Amino acid sequence: MEAKVLRMLVPMALEGLKVTLGVFAVTLIMSLPLAIVVAKLRMSKNKMISKITGTYIYIMRGTPLLLQLMFIFFGYYRVPYIGYPFSREQAIVIAFVLNYTAYFAEIFRGGINSIDVGQNEASQVLGLSKTHTFMKIILPQVIKNVMPSIGNEVITLVKDTSLVYILGSSDILKAARSVSNVYAAFSPYIYIGIVYLVIIAILTKLLDKIENKYDYYR
Amino acid sequence: MVLSVENLSKSFGANIVFHDISFSVNKGEIVCIRGKSGEGKTTLLRCLTALETPDKGSVKINNMYLCKEDSNHIKYAQKNELQAIRQEIGLVFQNFNLFPHMNVMENLMEAPLFLKKDSRENIKSRAEELLKSLELEGKEDSYPFQLSGGQQQRVAIARACMLNPSVLCFDEPTSALDEQTRGQISKIIRYLSSKGIAIIIVTHDNAFADEIAQKIITMKDGKITIEPK
Repeated sequence: MEAKVLRMLVPMALEGLKVTLGVFAVTLIMSLPLAIVVAKLRMSKNKMISKITGTYIYIMRGTPLLLQLMFIFFGYYRVPYIGYPFSREQAIVIAFVLNYTAYFAEIFRGGINSIDVGQNEASQVLGLSKTHTFMKIILPQVIKNVMPSIGNEVITLVKDTSLVYILGSSDILKAARSVSNVYAAFSPYIYIGIVYLVIIAILTKLLDKIENKYDYYR
Repeated sequence: MVLSVENLSKSFGANIVFHDISFSVNKGEIVCIRGKSGEGKTTLLRCLTALETPDKGSVKINNMYLCKEDSNHIKYAQKNELQAIRQEIGLVFQNFNLFPHMNVMENLMEAPLFLKKDSRENIKSRAEELLKSLELEGKEDSYPFQLSGGQQQRVAIARACMLNPSVLCFDEPTSALDEQTRGQISKIIRYLSSKGIAIIIVTHDNAFADEIAQKIITMKDGKITIEPK
């Protein structure tokens, strides 16, 4: 019985792993840089820009990701004038990137605020431009400060990828569910749980490594 | 005359920090600005280094105007002028504000490299020279947290000197130093002044001001009194 379960689960799980890791990687690659831009906009002196960005963050953090996925796939094309029928993959990427950008942006905003104003002033007195100051003086210090919080979100993201089932995409958890239904067995869930743990273990190691990389200064 | 301040005023809302003050600083001169806490010494220094914008009056550094009074309107330097002026006037902050993620050499080279003052090799050898004269040899690869307060201050001085300023300002340079390091900082300040750099020191340390200053400016109730020594 268990052999049959595994024979069915392994190929499905491998396919599902592509979806899980794909959504994870694309979301991370796109939302991290975007989040820095959004954090800067949120901190803009222009009240209008700051307010619009604040509203975006409020909506993204104030509604479930599941609902956002559903809205973008099933609801957005009904919106007059700007509606567009996104494909399943597009909807998944858009929802995840929009959602995670909002969370990451708030983390970056906190990180930027935590940097002593003296760092900006010293750069100003030395004649460094604003962009140069942000990229070379402020951002490297921000990254060190926000790494633990970013790490938390990165781990949550791995688990959130399972929400793609709502749009009919097959990730690893969906694979477990299908096999479990066929054989009326619970073990596929255990195996997939272990897969999640392995992914998280690798990520934790990686995140630790990045954190340690910034340990050279205080 | 390297720096001249005329009829400078600054207030924050209804709070007048200083009003209508004028003074000048000559090449190589050591000027101390003293006064009690809250008398606006640091604000004055911040106006001179363009970290604050004064409300009225003019500031001229090496014949370039940081701001000037123009038919009852204050005119501030444009962006590119400002960058040129900033290279003429350096500031050593009270808490130094070194870049913690950069080692000593990187702290020194960052600004001149950005401003393309010279080739990388020349900038590096200038940094080495400065570190040597400030007794920081061998500290090139150290990070700020690995240095003592006095050493950090000297790195901050070296960093400001990398741009060859005509005027170097110090905000409370003796506040965090022990007796011995205090002696060292006055030695350094005298050395810089002997090289022709005008020095402006904001301090509430009267003994230090008496010891080092060639001119003392006292701030009280938004006005200044100048006593030459």
